[in-house]
Amino acid sequence: MTSDPRVFLTLDLGAATTAAALIGRLQGQWRLLGSLAMPATSDPEPMLDLLLARLREASPQIVEELAIPARASAIGRLVARTAPRGLLAVLAPTNARRDSLAAAADRAGWRVRPASLEHGDLLKLVDAALAPGVDAALIGCADPPLGDERRRLEELNLVADAIAERRPGLPLVLSGAVAASGGQSGTTESNAEAAPARPAPERLFAPAPNAGDPPGAPLTIFLGGLRARPDDGRQGIAQATKSLAAVVDRRVEALEIGLDGGLRAAAWPSAGEPSGAGSLASESAAAALFPPEPDEATVDAVLAWSTLPLDRTRLRDRLRELRFRPWADAQGDGALLRLAAARVAVSRLIDATPAISALPPADLVVATGGVWSSGPAPAIALALADIRRRSGAAQLAIDHARLLGPLGTLDDDGERRQLIDDLLDEVLLPVGSVVVAQGLKGGRPIGRIAVRSDGRSQERELVPGGLEIVDVPPGQLASAELEFREPVTVGTRGRKFGIEVSGGLAGLIVDLRDVPLRLPEGSDRRRDQLAEWQRSLWPDLEA
Amino acid sequence: MTGPIGHPASGNNGTGGGVAMANGLGLVTARPLVQRSPTLRFPLSMADTVRVAPGQTISAGILLADRLRDPLVEETGRRRREEAGDSPLLSAGQRTWLLSGGQREPLESPISGIVRSADTATGLVVEAAADSLAGVLAIGGPSRGRLEIATGADGELRPAALDVGRSGSILVVGSRVEAETLTRARAMGVRGVVVAALSGKDLRDFEASERRQRASVHQLAPFAVLVLDGVLRRRIASPVMELLASLEGNEVAIVGDPPQLLFRRVESVPTPPADWVRVASGPMAGREGRWAGPAGPRRFGAAVHLEAGFVRFDDGPPTPVPLADLERFV
Repeated sequence: MTSDPRVFLTLDLGAATTAAALIGRLQGQWRLLGSLAMPATSDPEPMLDLLLARLREASPQIVEELAIPARASAIGRLVARTAPRGLLAVLAPTNARRDSLAAAADRAGWRVRPASLEHGDLLKLVDAALAPGVDAALIGCADPPLGDERRRLEELNLVADAIAERRPGLPLVLSGAVAASGGQSGTTESNAEAAPARPAPERLFAPAPNAGDPPGAPLTIFLGGLRARPDDGRQGIAQATKSLAAVVDRRVEALEIGLDGGLRAAAWPSAGEPSGAGSLASESAAAALFPPEPDEATVDAVLAWSTLPLDRTRLRDRLRELRFRPWADAQGDGALLRLAAARVAVSRLIDATPAISALPPADLVVATGGVWSSGPAPAIALALADIRRRSGAAQLAIDHARLLGPLGTLDDDGERRQLIDDLLDEVLLPVGSVVVAQGLKGGRPIGRIAVRSDGRSQERELVPGGLEIVDVPPGQLASAELEFREPVTVGTRGRKFGIEVSGGLAGLIVDLRDVPLRLPEGSDRRRDQLAEWQRSLWPDLEA
Repeated sequence: MTGPIGHPASGNNGTGGGVAMANGLGLVTARPLVQRSPTLRFPLSMADTVRVAPGQTISAGILLADRLRDPLVEETGRRRREEAGDSPLLSAGQRTWLLSGGQREPLESPISGIVRSADTATGLVVEAAADSLAGVLAIGGPSRGRLEIATGADGELRPAALDVGRSGSILVVGSRVEAETLTRARAMGVRGVVVAALSGKDLRDFEASERRQRASVHQLAPFAVLVLDGVLRRRIASPVMELLASLEGNEVAIVGDPPQLLFRRVESVPTPPADWVRVASGPMAGREGRWAGPAGPRRFGAAVHLEAGFVRFDDGPPTPVPLADLERFV
């Protein structure tokens, strides 16, 4: 990519969205010259040519200065791919162990096909691993094995032998006591005559699912390494988040929601790290925007966040349709439905990543992924505020040009940091800041906020249960002073708080709703309540 | 609306030609109308007995594999001894596990072709000597029969319209179909249904009916449903309908992986004009017209900004439509 020092393209090839951006070096600094996002079914080449055509029309002098070729095919590219997730057959002696192995694999970014000897036989386990599309098999139990597991250890070893014989090229990951025994029964005789002609099976020995703190963490790291690809978009986002934390010298959290899963990455400045930042990242298929077959829980969850008067059958049909065509009907009701599904996905991502939730809250939260491409930024801010219920202040931003994934694929940490530093104001679309206060009581005014920026002051009364929106334009810093009659929690407990906030398209959102958020039980009242909050940040919804 | 087909082109090169790329049309998702010699996969279980070998040429109706219904694994011992005809799955030392499980069901080839692979790990992979029309989902199958157009592109077939006269056919039933119609179709000896959309409720009801049928002792005749577009009701695209009409009366087959309708190789495919586009989703779903150029980012309902293109429907003025809602046929 950097062989041409003056201009390059980035491509983020996701399961649902292809995002492209054009980056050029102007006056010694990298700048974003344009970006586009389209359905992944579109041919990227015409899209890139359109990007160039728009730049030629808007700024022919930049095209001339950078000597940008007429066709996109002549420009170097930085490509990240987030699809598809590999499929891992997870085979275990008991249902409980199956679930713990599956959770570790999910956090490592695998799709999982689980099976256990408790509710299946040898055939079901072997068939699960041999099914078309399976990229690897994980066979595991605790080390030392629990009572139920010890009884089935020999059968697990037989399963490992049977898989290795019938599909020699399949990576076979042995974990816990199965790894300790080598995953071999040693006496398997089936199809013995065919064995010498086949290549040796690839057996990999992984940490036990009960090892580490929290248990399963080393196994997750091992499984993550197994599917690592240099152009992996999600790993790229994790790397870029780390560089971003080092550049802005603040705690950063990235929430990526994709068609097949999501990523949550947290990073914080750390002088002790060679990259200048520490980080923790975890993926989950449970955070898929539109799961392949929406179950009852998914339908219920989306319905709970939806302001559309849809019945369960109709909602399920729309979600299934969106699985086939994730970009379909992105306007009107479709936009509302997407953001309801995105809330569910973010909520599941947060639930699936407790280790990140246990970290101190982030100063900057970055939303990335195709679902955020077309919705109005203030509506996205509300969606994030609805789900991230942590008291304190945070700045919200959107990776609108989907640059974090491609930039994160750069091997050179210094080069990545330099690019992010140069592009900082353009990589992140400033949505605004959100201040969440916890521990508020009563329905009458309980305090005031005064926001000063650019020589003017705005004051508001604070009423529990609602949102106060204060206009702070993008690029502006403001000082907010909150004063409550009773002590509350805004990061720390107290009555008076002085916070410096950044502006954005949604301004400053003072969130005085419950933590965690409580919604009315009745569907009509719940929809009315959600619509009321939505109207304050999405006033032209009916347009 | 009149269909877009002027006259059959000589073949279909799958690119849409230079015209398709002009004026921003390349930004619209291209949907192949016909796929040549598709590769099909039939999943296999270790309990299945494969009857063909890689490299073997097969014709429609040939036995590909015997599938064991409800396979069980039993360990030999005092209660269960190995008998003639038993199929050992695994053995370790003195212990042996046998496969057993009632009836076997034949898996017949729905089409001619060449077997490329035949093991449990990859499934039975066949390179079809046929062309195909892709769908988004297939249920049941594989199945083959004579293609019959039962309704128009936006029609809906009612159960009462089905009788034994349609036995052995694969029916094209328009924009949607109910589970009750599918169940009756199977009972009347129909071999398959091709439809634009199938709702989730009808899919679940039909699958439940299939499970009940399969739980009975009797072997079921093959039956398959091919869904062309998705879940929400819409008319079958006119280029697809023209293709299906040109195949009426011919032997076709429905397969599930990938979901496709297979038919004899055709020399010429009725091809729509290169600038013909269809609204595949959104408020105007199902409408078709001519591409009139890119419209740039546009504001649509709920203040959402989307890349758009102009489409001229019938003789009306150019209408902006989100690019993501459009498709063209190549």
